[in-house]
Amino acid sequence: MLRIENISKIYKRGHKEALKNINLTIKEGEFTALLGQNGAGKTTLINILAGNVHKTEGKVIIGGYDLDKNPLETKKIMGIVPQEIGQDYIFTVEDMLRKQSGYFGIKNNDDYIDELLEALSLQDKRKSTTRQLSGGMKRRLLIAKALVHKPKLLILDEPTAGVDIELRHSMYKFLKKLHAEGTTIILTTHYIEEAENLCKRIIVIDHGEIIADEPKEKLMDIFSQEIDVRFEFDYDIDIEDFDFLNGYEPIVKNNRNLYIKVEKNNLSKLMKVITDKGLNFIDIDIKRPKLEDIYLNLIKS
Amino acid sequence: MKIFYNRLGFTVLLYREIHRFFKVFIQTIFAPLLSNILYLAVFGGVLKTREVGIEGVNYLHFLVPGLTTMGALMAAFQNPSFSLISQKFQGTIQDINSYPISDVEKSLAYILGGTFRGLLVGSLTYIATVPFVGFGIKNIPLFIFSIILTSFIFASIGLICGLTLDNFEKMNFILAIVITPLSYLGGVFFEVSKLPGVLSHVGNINPIYPLVNITRYSYLGIAEGNILLHGILAFVFLSASFITSIILFRKGIGIKVR
Ligand SMILES: Nc1ncnc2c1ncn2[C@@H]1O[C@H](COP(=O)(O)OP(=O)(O)OP(=O)(O)O)[C@@H](O)[C@H]1O
Ligand SMILES: [Mg+2]
Repeated sequence: MLRIENISKIYKRGHKEALKNINLTIKEGEFTALLGQNGAGKTTLINILAGNVHKTEGKVIIGGYDLDKNPLETKKIMGIVPQEIGQDYIFTVEDMLRKQSGYFGIKNNDDYIDELLEALSLQDKRKSTTRQLSGGMKRRLLIAKALVHKPKLLILDEPTAGVDIELRHSMYKFLKKLHAEGTTIILTTHYIEEAENLCKRIIVIDHGEIIADEPKEKLMDIFSQEIDVRFEFDYDIDIEDFDFLNGYEPIVKNNRNLYIKVEKNNLSKLMKVITDKGLNFIDIDIKRPKLEDIYLNLIKS
Repeated sequence: MKIFYNRLGFTVLLYREIHRFFKVFIQTIFAPLLSNILYLAVFGGVLKTREVGIEGVNYLHFLVPGLTTMGALMAAFQNPSFSLISQKFQGTIQDINSYPISDVEKSLAYILGGTFRGLLVGSLTYIATVPFVGFGIKNIPLFIFSIILTSFIFASIGLICGLTLDNFEKMNFILAIVITPLSYLGGVFFEVSKLPGVLSHVGNINPIYPLVNITRYSYLGIAEGNILLHGILAFVFLSASFITSIILFRKGIGIKVR
């Protein structure tokens, strides 16, 4: 669906090297998160795909079409939700979406426009101009605009920035539905739980380079070698009773909770040691690391 | 790369450019019309007693095609330049990069939108003069053609300015420092040959000069200078402005980041 080969970008203004030799292939039907700190180069990459930024080097193939040779074909395949919210002072929401359909060569798209407005909870704003919309509504309008031509590849640059929790969740539902219907989706976000909840593949970009690109589970696996386990007892315990766990950094908290750190592949061994000792715990939980921790780890290293 | 790719997309973009100025018709149609009528009243009143214009021609009749041309070219210039600069201002300019519409189609949509506004304001200006001077165009098809030609050239120049300038101050500067003086020196209100010294030669590099004279020729049957030469110059200005605007669009000047 998308192939990026050796893309680099040095901005003329400021001579900033925003991307360094990026290589990336996205298959049809993937749902990918692009993570990275402010200024990492996410928007630059998206803007190159969108034709807003000239790349310095490299090649981009979108849906089988070369961005340099067949730019117009690539436009039909992509829908892009930009990071910056524009303001159109003149046209109404409905007007704008109809024109947008027209630009893509689609006549009489009202049924689908209605569907989009409904899905993005904008039905009662169809006669408003964007000036009359709130920030979150404008963002949802941008999503509607990117979708009128039913793109196969949807790229969203921080679609949920400034959107309230409830609407964010309805947006997740909507994106999941689009994905289930076959749309390939790439999304950037600073809400890590969003990537964790939606995406199957995580790409982390830092200072213009891809520093991680893995299926979500695998990424979490790699960085979750060590896991925290908590045992709870219904009687008071003493740290001295757990000498035999010395290698696992045991800690006792609140007299009844025992915390242990263990390598993932030693987990069953630990369980055996504990049951062999005949310890009577009443509760256990294993803390899986959050993507957020992994991410922070990655960009620190 | 195809020159014509998406006819519906082009038509909708052209429609957008026209729809946009109709939504603010007070500023875009009514205001220039009013100012042109004021010109007619004031200049016509003041200058008709002086020795300006073509000998043997009523000064008001001399002035009408000048004002019509000026009305058309100002409106045509402002439409694409204002449209693009306001899209830059609104942060929506890059939308245009996402449409599957060819560069030639995009340029033409902006230019023809401006041409339409120029034709509209030019025609209305002419119609507004009819109560003062009566109806009387020697060659109606040439008159209309000349307004369209003028509008097309200045819409192209407007597109060039809209792409290369990044704010309204710069655009107003161009209007006040370049276009308006060129109209005054281009034979709108009086003959260029009556201007003192070097100014009388400015006509040859001023795109407004041949255009005013072609319109005036179609209206009166006579004009200053050689009408054939005016025609050739107009064609040169037409090609140069149109080709430049397409090249700038293709290069993404003002709409893509390098
Ligand atoms: N138009 C531009 N001209 C010059 N430098 C730019 C331009 N746009 C971005 N940059 C620089 O390129 C680098 C990458 O910026 P980019 O916008 O791609 O980051 P990002 O990952 O999208 O960040 P954020 O999370 O803040 O949106 C930054 O150092 C930025 O200053
Ligand atoms: Mg960004």
